[in-house]
Amino acid sequence: MDLTIQTISEETEHQVILGGEIDAYTCPKVKERLLSLLEAGATRLTVDLKAVEYMDSTGIGMFVALMKACKRSGCSFFVENLSERVERLFRITGFYDLIAIRKGEEA
Amino acid sequence: MTRRLEEEYVQILRDYLNSQEEDELYGAQKLGKWLLLKDISPEELVDLHSRALESVEEVPEFVRASFRMLTEVMIEYGNAHRSLQSWRNKHAQLQSEVEIASAMQQSLLPQTIPTYPGVEIGVVSIAANGMSGDYYDFMHFSGHRFSLTIGDITGKGIPAAMCMSMLKYAVDSLGEIQLGPNQMLRHLNRVVERNIDPSMFVTMLFGCYDTNHHCFRYAVAGHEPGFLYRAREGKFYDLEGRGIALGISADSTYVEHEVALQTGDVLILLTDGVTESKKGRSYLVREDLVGFLQNEVDKPAQLMADEIYRRLMMLAQFEQRDDYTMIVLRRT
Amino acid sequence: MVVAASNPETIRIERENDIVTARHIGRNMSKELGFGAIMQSRIATSISELARNIFLYAGSGTITIAIVEREGKKGLQITAIDEGPGIPDIRKALEDGYTTSGALGAGLPGVQRMMDCFDIESAPGKGTRVDVIKWFEQ
Repeated sequence: MDLTIQTISEETEHQVILGGEIDAYTCPKVKERLLSLLEAGATRLTVDLKAVEYMDSTGIGMFVALMKACKRSGCSFFVENLSERVERLFRITGFYDLIAIRKGEEA
Repeated sequence: MTRRLEEEYVQILRDYLNSQEEDELYGAQKLGKWLLLKDISPEELVDLHSRALESVEEVPEFVRASFRMLTEVMIEYGNAHRSLQSWRNKHAQLQSEVEIASAMQQSLLPQTIPTYPGVEIGVVSIAANGMSGDYYDFMHFSGHRFSLTIGDITGKGIPAAMCMSMLKYAVDSLGEIQLGPNQMLRHLNRVVERNIDPSMFVTMLFGCYDTNHHCFRYAVAGHEPGFLYRAREGKFYDLEGRGIALGISADSTYVEHEVALQTGDVLILLTDGVTESKKGRSYLVREDLVGFLQNEVDKPAQLMADEIYRRLMMLAQFEQRDDYTMIVLRRT
Repeated sequence: MVVAASNPETIRIERENDIVTARHIGRNMSKELGFGAIMQSRIATSISELARNIFLYAGSGTITIAIVEREGKKGLQITAIDEGPGIPDIRKALEDGYTTSGALGAGLPGVQRMMDCFDIESAPGKGTRVDVIKWFEQ
């Protein structure tokens, strides 16, 4: 299962750059990393999906859960650099309208 | 350990030390299989070897001592060997539980495809492994109508299957009151949102087909868009409609759409196992799929569904990574 | 009815070296009883595991080794006692593949399989007592 997670942190603001495949097998790892940042008191989480080659609906599920967890703890949550395929998945599931998406240029 | 085994081991060892031939090593390999079969642990084997050595020749004390050390090390391997058996039993038990659960799950899906006047229906629904997260159902409504549900639960296997049974009961009981598609999804969304893990959700298309007027009213909750084939034009169109998947947000509402089918028109509903299918090393694009549909659209509905599945499986080199469901409905 | 057939030996486990002492005493006693090389090693390993659990999780405790007798049959009994944090879920601790330290090894299930009798009593905050016996078969 190839998955890469890279975290760039500035105090309580984190940018997490994901790469490879996000599916049922790799999701728990991503979730664990992001939740641990949240538990450590993150105030801003930005997930960069530019290097993600494959993502299935489990990935969306993880982001839904994460978005809810961020809302509860008052942390702002963004997703950026969606590939065409990933963006399509976000749009079809309706998740695109619920989540803050940042385009590459703003990031 | 039996005496016979010891004697046999001594014999093989003696023969090998004398000849150093491949024969004896082959014999040793076969003995290895037999020892495993008899559940002889690694430390017992080391001990057997050291005793066999003693009976073949005078063994220097340092060699003897080295065997004592090896035996000690092997105890840990022996423990791993012994726990393997208990893992095997546990695995077998789990396996049989999964088999029972998938059989139970199968009973939640339609056992036969219903027939209605003026339409022809074909279905292919195949789980990636054992249990499925894809759901579909037909219900008979009053006034020449029947409902059609197709859904996809995030994830696969046991959690998806458990969620499916909840979904099935909710669809059934809401089906009793024959709600319109948008109301149906709105109510289902509330049930799902309250009852599943926050990281799970369900995408669904729910529709009602009127066999008198041949119109299909439906609503979509985050589900992969289906296709509508217009026979007169010979063209495929995406089935319109969007909406938030069930279980994501408590107060989602849904929009109802309606299409009228002319003779020969075909509705194709599917789950993402179809569209996310692989084409060699890359992914299938929607245009590829339309091409395949185009090739098969003149066949009877069931045959068409079967053919598409066969084609996609061949392209994916028979690796099915997600649950797959396709429903084909043609106005005859 | 299990009765003592010799003077039991009790070893205090406080440092890692005490584990070696316990192993050594256990091995000698099992040799004395007539156990073969493998059984001696298995007994030493079981003592090791029990003593290591004391050392790692409770900090200190005791290992008592005794030759016992029941209906004319002799055996070696090992009793491990500590007043450490106890085991919250014994069933889980006796499952293969479960170690709180995540380390590989025989662990309690391994000991249970190597011995004939296995008795464990533990509760959170109340410490742990493990009692095992290996019977000597002629």
